[in-house]
Amino acid sequence: TFTAWCNSHLRKAGTQIENIEEDFRDGLKLMLLLEVISGERLAKPERGKMRVHKISNVNKALDFIASKGVKLVSIGAEEIVDGNVKMTLGMIWTIILRFAIQDISVEETSAKEGLLLWCQRKTAPYKNVNIQNFHISWKDGLGFCALIHRHRPELIDYGKLRKDDPLTNLNTAFDVAEKYLDIPKMLDAEDIVGTARPDEKAIMTYVSSFYHAFSGAQKAETAANRICKVLAVNQENEQLMEDYEKLASDLLEWIRRTIPWLENRAPENTMQAMQQKLEDFRDYRRLHKPPKVQEKCQLEINFNTLQTKLRLSNRPAFMPSEGKMVSDINNAWGGLEQAEKGYEEWLLNEIRRLERLDHLAEKFRQKASIHESWTDGKEAMLQQKDYETATLSEIKALLKKHEAFESDLAAHQDRVEQIAAIAQELNELDYYDSPSVNARCQKICDQWDNLGALTQKRREALERTEKLLETIDQLYLEYAKRAAPFNNWMEGAMEDLQDTFIVHTIEEIQGLTTAHEQFKATLPDADKERQAILGIHNEVSKIVQTYHVNMAGTNPYTTITPHEINGKWEHVRQLVPRRDQALMEEHARQQQNERLRKQFGAQANVIGPWIQTKMEEIGRISIEMHGTLEDQLNHLRQYEKSIVNYKPKIDQLEGDHQLIQEALIFDNKHTNYTMEHIRVGWEQLLTTIARTINEVENQILTRDAKGISQEQMNEFRASFNHFDRDHSGTLGPEEFKACLISLGYDIGNDAQGEAEFARIMSIVDPNRMGVVTFQAFIDFMSRETADTDTADQVMASFKILAGDKNYITVDELRRELPPDQAEYCIARMAPYTGRDAVPGALDYMSFSTALYGESDL
Amino acid sequence: ESYKVMLNGPAPWGFRLQGGKDFSMPLSISRLTLGGKAAQAGVGVGDWVLYIDGESTSAMTHIEAQNRIRACGDRLCLTLSR
Repeated sequence: TFTAWCNSHLRKAGTQIENIEEDFRDGLKLMLLLEVISGERLAKPERGKMRVHKISNVNKALDFIASKGVKLVSIGAEEIVDGNVKMTLGMIWTIILRFAIQDISVEETSAKEGLLLWCQRKTAPYKNVNIQNFHISWKDGLGFCALIHRHRPELIDYGKLRKDDPLTNLNTAFDVAEKYLDIPKMLDAEDIVGTARPDEKAIMTYVSSFYHAFSGAQKAETAANRICKVLAVNQENEQLMEDYEKLASDLLEWIRRTIPWLENRAPENTMQAMQQKLEDFRDYRRLHKPPKVQEKCQLEINFNTLQTKLRLSNRPAFMPSEGKMVSDINNAWGGLEQAEKGYEEWLLNEIRRLERLDHLAEKFRQKASIHESWTDGKEAMLQQKDYETATLSEIKALLKKHEAFESDLAAHQDRVEQIAAIAQELNELDYYDSPSVNARCQKICDQWDNLGALTQKRREALERTEKLLETIDQLYLEYAKRAAPFNNWMEGAMEDLQDTFIVHTIEEIQGLTTAHEQFKATLPDADKERQAILGIHNEVSKIVQTYHVNMAGTNPYTTITPHEINGKWEHVRQLVPRRDQALMEEHARQQQNERLRKQFGAQANVIGPWIQTKMEEIGRISIEMHGTLEDQLNHLRQYEKSIVNYKPKIDQLEGDHQLIQEALIFDNKHTNYTMEHIRVGWEQLLTTIARTINEVENQILTRDAKGISQEQMNEFRASFNHFDRDHSGTLGPEEFKACLISLGYDIGNDAQGEAEFARIMSIVDPNRMGVVTFQAFIDFMSRETADTDTADQVMASFKILAGDKNYITVDELRRELPPDQAEYCIARMAPYTGRDAVPGALDYMSFSTALYGESDL
Repeated sequence: ESYKVMLNGPAPWGFRLQGGKDFSMPLSISRLTLGGKAAQAGVGVGDWVLYIDGESTSAMTHIEAQNRIRACGDRLCLTLSR
């Protein structure tokens, strides 16, 4: 067996051994065998034949074996050279074990176990084979057949084999092995069958040949498999690489396409467009990129897998083609993400910008519109020429209005600036419609400048006009200030010149004339003033003409026109001579009046005293009592006559007086006597003479009636005159009292006396005049000295008619008195209410006293 | 100055009345009986009689005044003036 085995190997080297104990002694074949088995070259053998050469060669062989990790225990080269069979066989077995069996690595088991395992594995499908060892299990030969059939089924028809025919089985197996597998028969079939326990080593050796044969084929198969696997791996890898490349280029292509899109910074004009873009971007992020992310991930994974696979399969690492390297991909991806970020940022900025732009644009439009509406019409307003026809106060009002407008304008200045600022910002932010914005802004600014210029111009015009009007106004004022007093003066003068005067004396008229002359002296100065005033007016006119200021207004300070002034002046001038005339006439009149006065005065001065004289004379007559009353009477009558004869003179005076009155002369220094005086005096005179005559007549009567003698009368008269101290023809109470006393009346200064005097006074002065006339005095005196009260007499008379009763009846009255008197008494008498009264009794006593105005009650 | 007197009767009152509208003279006291009722009441000679029992005398005739006084009976009220 061992020999066969060795030969199977040596055959390859073109040699054989015949005898295992001998042929290896020189070591040459040993070395050859080792070379063939291991496939390695040993050191060059010694070509000598000497022992030492043999030992050297054997040692080489042994060294080689040892170098393979085989412990050759107690096997020396000398023994082998000497042909020690046991040693040589042992060495051969060790070689077999090492190179044939020990090579068998099946799952890292030891050579034997490995081999066993291999057999078990290969024969596993064969149910009737159970390999547990390297001896008995093989006895039925099925093991070998199975092995063969397992690897080369066409060589054995395994189905026909029978367990109970081990010989056949074994022989079949050995034959086939030898024929087709190049495995020499190392075992004998009968040997195996006949032995209870076949030689384990031999079987092992033979089985190991199978192993090597099959594993060779297996190796080939395995190699083919491996190659296929490798190829498959290669193919797979190639596919993976291809996939990678494809994926990579797709991805890169996609990135290449996408980046420009992300780098596109073409701005949109509208928010919607931008927002659409943002929407697209979001879609990109949500829908388009994720798959690509996954792709990239996949790419990475693929790459890593590929690399791992390659590494695992000992292949060189995958180097992607130019530009498709991982770094390229990563770079590209990085670029994409950068672009993305940039893009998103840009989108948002753009949107913000557009938003701001929209907002600004709107703001601009709004502000511009507001401003335009404000400026609307302002230019027209500023160019109004309204100041040309305005008065001073109107101008001032216009100026104020203008001032207000100017401040309004100033206030709008910053608004314009705002508008411009917004326009500027829009420009800076690259607003798509900047041109129209700018155009509008420009228009606004131009208009603004224009407004400013117009405002200024208007201000100047207004101020200029104001100044002119102020000047005019000043002049007007001046004019008014002077015209008014002058006008007043003229009016006063006119009044004075036309003043109707009432003068009563020459002095007065002369005074007026003097005043008039004085006035005339002031005329030249007045005229100068007039000229000055007119001069002012002319100045105004000049200004108006020169500056074309509208004189719509008149002098507000006065209504006195120059025309008026001149008119009045003329009037005044006319009045002056008229006044001269009037004064002269009056003067004449006054002179005439004076003449009248004189005339009257002369007359009055004669008449007045004459009357006075006569009055005195008449008074005296009555007082002096020369001669008898008759004589007095005659005297008085003479006077009367002379008075009557004097009347014409009075009349004449009256005539003069009338003239004087007609001439409206109210005073007369030529005489103290007024007409009234004279009249009164005259009437008094007439009255006095009449009264005096009457008095005397009465005295005559009284004397005759009362029987007062002349002497008595004279006495009365004398007393009266004596006490009539003021020759008034009357006595006051004290005078009268004294008079009474002087005449013998005892009037004491007691209450009785006072009462008595009072009684007397009430008689002589019943009307309480406070004076006692001579007549009353005479009456009183005569009464006292005469009989008793007439009232008593009447009463006594009634008593007689009443038959001595205290009352009288109606019948008695009617019987005794004439009817009229009777009825008179009946009507007036009160009923008698005495104790002895009877119905129809009348009280004649009260009646009697009442007749005389005296009743005792 | 006027003053009033109230004389308690009966009559005579002790004064002489003078005057009246028909005499164109005011009604006055022309005489007083010494110690008479009027004199005792303080009436003075020459005093004017303004009212008789409250009635004005300005329009009375002498006899009217007389009758009025008589009509007062036992009580005479006069308003006079000094």
